[in-house]
Amino acid sequence: ATRMHEVTEIRIKYPNKIPVVVERYQKEKTLPPLSRTKFLVAQDLPLSQFAVTLRTRLCLASSQTFYLLVNNKGLPNMAMTMQELYQDNKDEDGFLYLTYASQEMFG
Amino acid sequence: LFLATLTYDTLRFEYEDFPETKEPVWILGRKYSVFTEKEEILLDVTSRLWFTYRKNFPAIGGTGPTSDTGWGCMLRCGQMIFAQALVCRHLGRDWRWIKGKRQVDNYFSVLNAFVDRKDSYYSIHQIAQMGVGEGKSIGQWYGPNTVAQVLKKLATFDTWSSLAVHIAMDNTVVMEEIRRLCQSNAPCAGAAACPAVESDGLYNGCPEEAGVRDRHSLWKPLVLLIPLRLGLTEINEAYIETLKHCFMMPQSLGVIGGKPNSAHYFIGYVGEELIYLDPHTTQPAVEPNDSGCLPDESFHCQHPPCRMSIAELDPSIAVGFFCNTEEDFNDWCQQIKKLSLVRAALPMFELVERQPSHFSNPDVLNLTPDSSDADRLERFFDSEDEDFEILSL
Repeated sequence: ATRMHEVTEIRIKYPNKIPVVVERYQKEKTLPPLSRTKFLVAQDLPLSQFAVTLRTRLCLASSQTFYLLVNNKGLPNMAMTMQELYQDNKDEDGFLYLTYASQEMFG
Repeated sequence: LFLATLTYDTLRFEYEDFPETKEPVWILGRKYSVFTEKEEILLDVTSRLWFTYRKNFPAIGGTGPTSDTGWGCMLRCGQMIFAQALVCRHLGRDWRWIKGKRQVDNYFSVLNAFVDRKDSYYSIHQIAQMGVGEGKSIGQWYGPNTVAQVLKKLATFDTWSSLAVHIAMDNTVVMEEIRRLCQSNAPCAGAAACPAVESDGLYNGCPEEAGVRDRHSLWKPLVLLIPLRLGLTEINEAYIETLKHCFMMPQSLGVIGGKPNSAHYFIGYVGEELIYLDPHTTQPAVEPNDSGCLPDESFHCQHPPCRMSIAELDPSIAVGFFCNTEEDFNDWCQQIKKLSLVRAALPMFELVERQPSHFSNPDVLNLTPDSSDADRLERFFDSEDEDFEILSL
């Protein structure tokens, strides 16, 4: 309920920005945590570019895997804009939740 | 995975035969019927190169491990998918291994590229040592992308195969990048040794061939590897149809992945089950015999292949394809586009013509928050102790 309130206020203040929460997969072993997890992102920003931003924040090499899963399920089309992604996948509380993870290792 | 090895080695479980089903069996782009083509299915499976844990090979790096039991399964799966690419490249998809039959020289050249010696192109020694550059110490577990990255580097030394290896990151395949890579007329250092014209005595060893080669041969054979994550803890079932389709394409090299912790090389499916080759059996390393010939029987899986439910698949995989010619690649693109129109099949990756500009030029990214926004944000949230970050992008 507090989060819903939070989103309502921020949406009023920044109607052109998408509220996004980016969480690290709880079992992630390779990728570092983000210093900040809540973002306000331009509506027309492609997801691919948001991913590049996050990759840069985490200092990842281009050969390292970095997947953004929406609602802990699927890999969204990277060409989608944040607005499109938000429309289809926003949570009840008004945030868009993305989880990042690399790949598992096998012995 | 040590426990699994013990089980496999000591129990030698019965290999279950294929179920009597009217569902087709798909193996690396070939469709079979269990009722009428069981022999052909098993021959196709047996013909794949099967790499398993080995023991008593020359120590990696001179003083390192002499066995990969317990850690090498993803490296072995990487070898298997890459060996399939080399088989397609040098022998063709229709080539079959027949026990006891004398094989062509190219077959032994492919096999030799993977045997457990420090100087083979894609030996466990080379993979483990090249992995150090990817942040993996020798003996550490790999993921599908790790082994793909290492194999790509090792392939640059394999002038005999002269492959273009592309790894599509961020679940996006960019056609323009692949065309550029495959058409790059890099002076084929091994042009003279290049076997593409081997059968034609006229050109043998003659560097002038480059001038006469038709457009079709200016395309470097492509190995396309796409590392993916199809869910967090388990595979999102919306991807299952798409995954099955990957095994139906003639360009299929199969999939490397596994069950949690143990890697498998998936070569096909039947019904709701994946068909795979399992590296979790420790065999003694093989040395050439007195006549210099490598005993090869242990490199072919001569029992019915293992199967598992698709739902058990760990979401971290890499899907592989081989496009020998430009036409093969165009055909692959067409099939992927067609697949994206199938309603029940959620795309596992996107196929795009070109990279969005920012990808190739990350420097233009302005990472500092928009100052006016930031100011407003500060004013707005000061009292509420909020922690939003505003991206001005």
